[in-house]
Amino acid sequence: MPRRTRLRLQTRLLLTTAAVLAASFGSVGWLLDRAFNAAVRDGAEEELRAICYGLLGMFDEHAGGLTATGDAEPRLQQRDSGYYAYVDDASGRPIWLSPALPTGSALLATQPTSQRPAVGEFHFDAVANREPPQFVAAYTVNWEVADMVTTLWVLADQAPYLQRLAAARRLVIVGLGTAAALFILAQLAALMWGMAPLRRMARRMRELEAGSRDRIGDDYPPELSPLAHNLDGFIDAEKASRERYRRAMDDLAHSLKTPLAVMTNALEPSVRSREPSQSQTLLREQLQRMKAAVGYQLSRATAARGFGGRRIALAPLAVRVVRALERAHVGKTALVDLPDATAAVRLAVRGDERDLMEMLGNLIENALKYAHGQVRVSVRESSEGEASLLIAVEDDGPGVPPTHREAVLRRGVRADTATDGQGIGLAVVQELADDYQGRLSIADSEDLGGAKFVLSLPAA
Amino acid sequence: MRLLLVEDEMLLAAQVDKYLRDQDFVVDMAADGETGLYQASEFDYAAALIDLGLPKLDGIALIKALRDKGDATPVLILTARGAVQDVVKGLEAGADDYLAKPFAMDELLARVRALIRRAGGHASTLIRYGPLQLDPVRRQVRIDDELVPLTAYEYRVLEYLAMKPGHVVSKAELTEQIYEQDFDRDSNTIEVFIRRLRRKLDPNKRLGLIHTVRSQGYRFGQ
Repeated sequence: MPRRTRLRLQTRLLLTTAAVLAASFGSVGWLLDRAFNAAVRDGAEEELRAICYGLLGMFDEHAGGLTATGDAEPRLQQRDSGYYAYVDDASGRPIWLSPALPTGSALLATQPTSQRPAVGEFHFDAVANREPPQFVAAYTVNWEVADMVTTLWVLADQAPYLQRLAAARRLVIVGLGTAAALFILAQLAALMWGMAPLRRMARRMRELEAGSRDRIGDDYPPELSPLAHNLDGFIDAEKASRERYRRAMDDLAHSLKTPLAVMTNALEPSVRSREPSQSQTLLREQLQRMKAAVGYQLSRATAARGFGGRRIALAPLAVRVVRALERAHVGKTALVDLPDATAAVRLAVRGDERDLMEMLGNLIENALKYAHGQVRVSVRESSEGEASLLIAVEDDGPGVPPTHREAVLRRGVRADTATDGQGIGLAVVQELADDYQGRLSIADSEDLGGAKFVLSLPAA
Repeated sequence: MRLLLVEDEMLLAAQVDKYLRDQDFVVDMAADGETGLYQASEFDYAAALIDLGLPKLDGIALIKALRDKGDATPVLILTARGAVQDVVKGLEAGADDYLAKPFAMDELLARVRALIRRAGGHASTLIRYGPLQLDPVRRQVRIDDELVPLTAYEYRVLEYLAMKPGHVVSKAELTEQIYEQDFDRDSNTIEVFIRRLRRKLDPNKRLGLIHTVRSQGYRFGQ
């Protein structure tokens, strides 16, 4: 099934901010641009209107026609100023040209706008179809004395206006861009700062799992501290209840085993001395079944992988168990065989130290018990692909015949079938190995000649 | 022969007492740890049978207290808590053997006799890290089966580090572990031991056994 991509919180927030920024700054930019455009156009219109009216005042009318008196304003006189003006009559015949506009100029070839304004009207437009693009203002006057209708055309290159507009636009873009960048940076900083407690919590959670920490802690902002508090409470409660359960089981084992011992002992002389009665034999058998059940079921029940088991280093644990148990088996030699120092560091299992001691201890005790003189405990990383550790416990004892192996491992699966004191330890190991997703197998020891128990556990 | 039985379960204690008396032992009984410690300190016993779950002073504390006093009486632990952890702790405290309850009387007798017979003889465990081999009983070290002569202090430093592979051990911790109390605790001598150990164990620097962790201490293994 395809998994939905889960974006990081940080990415989500940043993306949202970026989208909002783009939309709002975009529309602000667009509005500003329109306002500038309008302002520039209005400015041009005002300017051309003033020129227009100035020109109007320059003409004197008399019965024969119009006479230009005085000079047009300087911009119209100056060549390349970008300002031109001319006056024509209704049929388009030029009456007056501004000094900068030579006769026969291409500018005169076509009328700048499709229609000349009606008498007394002022018309302003931007003409893009000319080269260069121009603004054009037109004003039609009816000279009553001279009895003629003329139109005043004032043209101005758009370039300087467009430049002003471009400059304004650049300013807007730079300003808004800087603001957006600052905003994003501030947002990033806020995110880093705001997310820091979450990251801290996640890191501590990992440490908790790895066993290098046992609480989440309470140094969180008010939004998170209830969560942290609840988590810690949950962890504590879980730990406490596991501990309580274990103690209860221990106490139960303790309080059952002693009366069992007393009963067995009380029965023993009579069972041994002469022909035991049927009821005595029955009692003895049942007591043994109870002993086995108590031993096996209770140690199985207390084995529990709790939340966030610790990372337990196997090398020192194996050494510790071997050295302790060997005190009770004088005359036997044990070798703890580990890979070199660097590789030994990696030999660790995640779980409960007590469970691991239980597994190692039962295997080692079993080996010491059956060995004639030598026991070897080796811990290695599995050479197969999966990340697992192999704990091999070998001895030079009689070994386990292949036909018995399954039975040895299965013994205890139904504890009431177990015989007195035998195999319960191995059954516990088997059971625990299952809990840890591990495996217990029996082989022959090539080097020592006895049994070889191999326990494989997932590496931490 | 005289035995000490420290057991708070009176019925069981009475049975064991009777059984052992029938086997010609003299048995002194104590029902709690404190009484047990007193008895063991006052009288000389061929062996002591100590239950782990005792009132007042638990079995492990009792054994520790005995051993701290230099008392070498062979000790057999009787444990009803089947967990290996308890057995290991008891043996580490100085017990010599253990027997899980419920036990058969014959088994108990055999253990007690073996315990008295062996008195003193001890186990040998070898620890091998690749080419490095430690013998904690003889305090010997071999590299590729070649004996490397070390002083007692050098051996202690190495053993302590090797028991904690991958852990950073501070100089202060090492000093505390390898010296007797009240000894001149100059942590510079640790550096000297480490230097000598490296030179003796790994002159060609191919094994990389002991690593220096700047301003923190030393670490066995990478």
